[in-house]
Amino acid sequence: MSVVLRNAQRVVSVRRAPLRRAVCALRAALGASRFDVGLVCAGNGLMRRLNGAYRQRPEPTDVLSFPFHRVVAGELPRPSCRDEYNLGDIFLGVEYIHQQCRATGEDFDSVLAVTAAHGLCHLLGYQHRTEGEWQQMYQKEVEILEELNRLTGASLRPLTAGLF
Amino acid sequence: MLLARALRAAAAAALRPPPRHPPRRLLSSSSPRALLPPPGAAPPLARSLWQLGGGWRTALLRPRRGSAGGVSCGCGGLHTEGDKAFAQFLTDEIKEEKKIQKHKSLPKVSGGWELEVHGTEAKLVRKIAGEKITVTFNINNSIPPSAEDETQEEQKPDEQEPDLTSTPNFVVEVIKDDTKQTLVLDCHYPEDEVGHEGEEESDIFTIREVSFQPTGESDWKDTNYTLNTDSLDWALYDHLMDFLADRGVDNTFADELIELSTALEHQEYIKFLEDLKSFVKCQ
Repeated sequence: MSVVLRNAQRVVSVRRAPLRRAVCALRAALGASRFDVGLVCAGNGLMRRLNGAYRQRPEPTDVLSFPFHRVVAGELPRPSCRDEYNLGDIFLGVEYIHQQCRATGEDFDSVLAVTAAHGLCHLLGYQHRTEGEWQQMYQKEVEILEELNRLTGASLRPLTAGLF
Repeated sequence: MLLARALRAAAAAALRPPPRHPPRRLLSSSSPRALLPPPGAAPPLARSLWQLGGGWRTALLRPRRGSAGGVSCGCGGLHTEGDKAFAQFLTDEIKEEKKIQKHKSLPKVSGGWELEVHGTEAKLVRKIAGEKITVTFNINNSIPPSAEDETQEEQKPDEQEPDLTSTPNFVVEVIKDDTKQTLVLDCHYPEDEVGHEGEEESDIFTIREVSFQPTGESDWKDTNYTLNTDSLDWALYDHLMDFLADRGVDNTFADELIELSTALEHQEYIKFLEDLKSFVKCQ
């Protein structure tokens, strides 16, 4: 259903409309268009606080995902009421991502879309703690990014490429 | 309250000093007959009191010339002990407010905006590539009620009070050189609905209403359609936000506008206190 987008930081200029388009396309590629998802563009301060509070790592990061449902990777949630048509929230560390892009020369908007794809997969139970989990997640990221590439003409690759 | 007022009026009537000006019309011979005392009647109490030449009671309202605490300004205005205490309070208050004043002059907004201030209303103007963008706001009623009342009991006595921040609604007008229509966007800062944590995760500002208005006309044309964003398609909303960002109205701008508005509000508050002090002390 809805992609609720918030830009809670003032450090980096974020184009809302293309980001929303990308997230909607990725969500559709996951077969989860019926589900709401929240997307917050956050600065390093907020990411540090959340990372410290929920992962005991008080440092900025590129993405944090907070799933609404606990699901097995590859399965969609089974909501019992309207309020449960919710995948959860993704916090995009746009300041952190922007800093990384400046260091590596990558395109910020492209990396933002790829990071959002990674966050969406986490909301649907995909993990990368083991090689096996990573392979499964990597394949799913490739699949949904290929769909986005088809729509936009981009050549996006998963965030977790080369992790193992 | 009404009874107290009546009692005070009666007491004041008994204490009224001799008039310096000719008696009012009510006491003249041309007054309606019913208001004049019957012939031979004893004069009313109030008159007999002031006929004694004022007496000691007049000192409460107007000290006699030369007495301690007498006012020699000759302005003819009322000068009470309460006014004196009020003026002294204002002197101290003004001193304190100037001490904590963050900006002695108004801070600039980055991005080439020109500032015009008329009292409590400020206007930022910018011209880019055939377009004129103006952002107008008023600092009156721009400080939202804070949540500090809920935590006042927890606050230690030596802790400083939290800073007051002005977050005014602001109106963005976009005028393209070749059209007779102005696109008007009414923008607000979100209210503190979910506490401080929620504030960090929300947009810095929101667009509430959008409308087209005839360029150059000061009267609002309410027959023109006004788009309310409460139930607006999210994608359209994001396009409007990107539209504003391209013209310099983004989160950085919104943040700097808060700084400007807060400084202007404080400046006007101090000026008001100074005017109040002059008014109370001696007009």
